[in-house]
Amino acid sequence: MLRTTGLTKQFGGLTAVDSVDFELGDELCSLIGPNGAGKTTVFDLLTGVLEPTQGSIELRTDGEWVDVTDASPDETATMGLHRSYQITNVFPTLTVLENVRVAAQAHGDDAATFWRNVGTYDEYVREARGILERVGLADRADDLAQNLSHGASRQLEVAVALAGHPDVLLLDEPNAGVSSESVGDIVDLIEDVAEDHAVLLVEHNMDIVMEVSDRVVVLNQGEVIADDEPSAVRENPAVQEAYLGGYEPGDLGDRTDERADDAPGSGGVA
Amino acid sequence: MAISSVTRWVENRRLSWPVDHLRSQQVHLLVVLALLAYPGFYHLLTSSSVSNLAVAILPRMDSMVAVLYFALFAMSFDFISGYTGYLSFGHAAFYGTGAYLVILVANGKIPLLPPGTPFMISLLLAGLLAALVAVVIGLVSFRLTGVYFAMVTLGFAQVMYVFVRGWNYVASNPRDGPAIGSTHPDGFEIGVPFVDQLNLAIGSFSGDEVTLLGHTLGTYTVSFYMVGLVVLLSYFAMQRVIHSPFGRVMIAIRENEERAEAVGYDTFRYKIGAFVMSAFFGGIAGGLFAGFKRSVTPESTFYFLTTGDALLASIIGGFGTLAGPLYGHLFDYGVREFLSNRGLGGGLLPYLQETLSQAVLTTTLPGGITVEGFIQAALNGHASLYVGIVFVLFVLYVPGGLLGTLRIGLGGKVSERLPAKLWGDR
Repeated sequence: MLRTTGLTKQFGGLTAVDSVDFELGDELCSLIGPNGAGKTTVFDLLTGVLEPTQGSIELRTDGEWVDVTDASPDETATMGLHRSYQITNVFPTLTVLENVRVAAQAHGDDAATFWRNVGTYDEYVREARGILERVGLADRADDLAQNLSHGASRQLEVAVALAGHPDVLLLDEPNAGVSSESVGDIVDLIEDVAEDHAVLLVEHNMDIVMEVSDRVVVLNQGEVIADDEPSAVRENPAVQEAYLGGYEPGDLGDRTDERADDAPGSGGVA
Repeated sequence: MAISSVTRWVENRRLSWPVDHLRSQQVHLLVVLALLAYPGFYHLLTSSSVSNLAVAILPRMDSMVAVLYFALFAMSFDFISGYTGYLSFGHAAFYGTGAYLVILVANGKIPLLPPGTPFMISLLLAGLLAALVAVVIGLVSFRLTGVYFAMVTLGFAQVMYVFVRGWNYVASNPRDGPAIGSTHPDGFEIGVPFVDQLNLAIGSFSGDEVTLLGHTLGTYTVSFYMVGLVVLLSYFAMQRVIHSPFGRVMIAIRENEERAEAVGYDTFRYKIGAFVMSAFFGGIAGGLFAGFKRSVTPESTFYFLTTGDALLASIIGGFGTLAGPLYGHLFDYGVREFLSNRGLGGGLLPYLQETLSQAVLTTTLPGGITVEGFIQAALNGHASLYVGIVFVLFVLYVPGGLLGTLRIGLGGKVSERLPAKLWGDR
């Protein structure tokens, strides 16, 4: 669905992303790494917010690879690459419904129509309501986005990204700051969304990463240091070193084994 | 309540479509009716027993004409600034472009356009030329955001201001601005071009008078109605845009441009589009101004304080409300006139001088100043000072402006919520 070749981004002397070769299939792939590893920079490069210093980005649309290296954010969005943000980034004084409706409208052909009333276009409202139903915000449709609780605004964040019919969905820490009792809702949402979209997920909670991912890519100081199935990545010494430099790899392995017995599918690097 | 019973009557006859439409427009209808009635109301009160007070408080008819066309300019400013969040500090450039074009056409200074070109056509051209100027300014300015955008547009307008002040072609004394010359002695006609019966001229001396049911409507009243017609149509056109899918994108850009781009909008194009439309109506407003006044100065058109007045009207009336600037400017103008000298509309000062008795006026206050002297010192020529204080108070305590605050109070658009509040939700 999406692939990068030698993707590099330098800010002055700092190499934030260092020749990343990566391909995303129709799967749920997690992108993890310690703070400052370059995960959000990768998202910014993929969506066109930042321009790569070197390398290329291609997106598969209608069975053909299209180069989107120099595309702007609105162009990548129109081609089916959508993202959600680490820090909630919606339209605060609009209603929840209008947030999603205006995002759905961007995908249609009527957005530049200035001579007809917006009320004549029911289809975007219907679509928006469907998406709100899916993310579990249907009963908050008429509330202002700025009045939502943190957990609900994380759901809205995903809803707005979903509204553009994405082929590839980039989710930047959909769980950021969500209380532990609400994490389950968001995890269900991620899994639900992954059923019909290719998803690239940035996430710090390793329990979630190990639980939902088909594949895990680990980024450290801009470089890909591991790209494998969740269980293999967990055992990877280089990954453990990146996260917990200073510990002996063996020590950590003992501990995670113990925990893995108690709670299958959880535990791990962080 | 009359409208309510009429709507119920028509509803019973199953003509609900036009009624629904009218009901949704009730507030607009009321405002238009109130403005339609104003000249009669003004005439009645100023010739009644309370005429002194009425003259002092009510804006004169010619002031009301100025309020209307300037309100259109302020609305066009609000259209771009209040809805996309980009403060167009050089908006006076469009007002000036429209005003100068109308005068230059009438003076035969524009090739291919004879002085006798119908006003409606030169008005349209005024809008189109302003829109063209907006394309040029917008292509440069929308590469920036925030304060930098405001400063660049301001820069463009000031360059144009300095330019027309020194451009001998527009007037023999360009610093004083051009006036309509002998090539166009008639008033500028608003109506259907080329159909004489459907036109009425505006202007204080060159305008038409109309006799209706035995009453003569003076040139100011006729100008008020005809200018009002153009302003009303322009307002509805802008309102249409605001309520369209395009308008929703403008609001999305104001709320969060980064996200608007991320969901797939090429915001640059939308911003240019909105800017051009706004400039078109700014140009129309300038054309109406020139058509009514028949002479303009660089200060009253291209100068940055002209934009300042539009900003004032928008803030007092309510930013991002479109209709708000009309009330804002009416308020601003009304206060100015109320506090100005006799020659400028008969406000508080002449009223006090006429109504207070001589004994009161000559009373000496502590400090050795008479009451008359105190009134003179406090009121003579200080209108701007008080308007400035009002402005500060508005920004501090009524940040939503007149209409914005009303919206918050009613929980929605006034045109939708007020009828529901008055006659119950149905």
